Amino acid sequence: MEVTINKQDNKTFVVINGRIDTTTVDQFQQAANTLMEEEHPDIDIDCTALSYTSSQGLRTILMLQKCVMKKGGKLVLRNMNPQVKEVFDITGFSNIITII
Amino acid sequence: MKKRFNPIKDKSSEIIEYLMSSPDIPDDDVLQFKLRLSIEEAVENVVRYAYDGGIGWLEVDIHFDQDALLLTIELRDAGTPFNPLEKEDPDVTKGAEDREVGGLGIFLCKKMMDSIEYRYEDGNNVLTMTKKV
Repeated sequence: MEVTINKQDNKTFVVINGRIDTTTVDQFQQAANTLMEEEHPDIDIDCTALSYTSSQGLRTILMLQKCVMKKGGKLVLRNMNPQVKEVFDITGFSNIITII
Repeated sequence: MKKRFNPIKDKSSEIIEYLMSSPDIPDDDVLQFKLRLSIEEAVENVVRYAYDGGIGWLEVDIHFDQDALLLTIELRDAGTPFNPLEKEDPDVTKGAEDREVGGLGIFLCKKMMDSIEYRYEDGNNVLTMTKKV
């Protein structure tokens, strides 16, 4: 799994490539920690190449969402594949995070 | 196809890949996603919590019934007796501020599989999950 972070104007653009699972979740958590330290809280995550997430990935995304909300920013997840989207739907995460 | 892993500390990935590489796993991306997710959540549950530190074993078994087209995955451990199905499902209607971080693993298994059962047998926790494939 790879997480690429790019800052542009007052927004942070993130691309996730691969699987968030038991072997990669620590790496994803580290990337999320970096994002949570960002001065500008608006985050846009491209999920086109995110092929899978377990509950551990959801846990980290919820932490990120809580942090972004606290700072008055917005977290956007875009272009999820249907299987990943289903995980977000089933867990109600689609209602609490902006998915486009 | 049955195998006992011992010890299981830090072995989640190896155990998940063992099950996912079984010839009983259907050649279908959508089904594989659901099965992988259920297997990962169930295995992680044992590796993280069953033995207070992971010193112990986990026996996994996967079986496909050709007549019923039913895939069965069984996990057996000798850790602390614990029925994960008794845990209350998370409230998926809550807002982000009120949502607890975590507690989604077994809930996802329930949603992804057709059935999930727990029994305590001969001093072992046994979790059986099935899916029609």
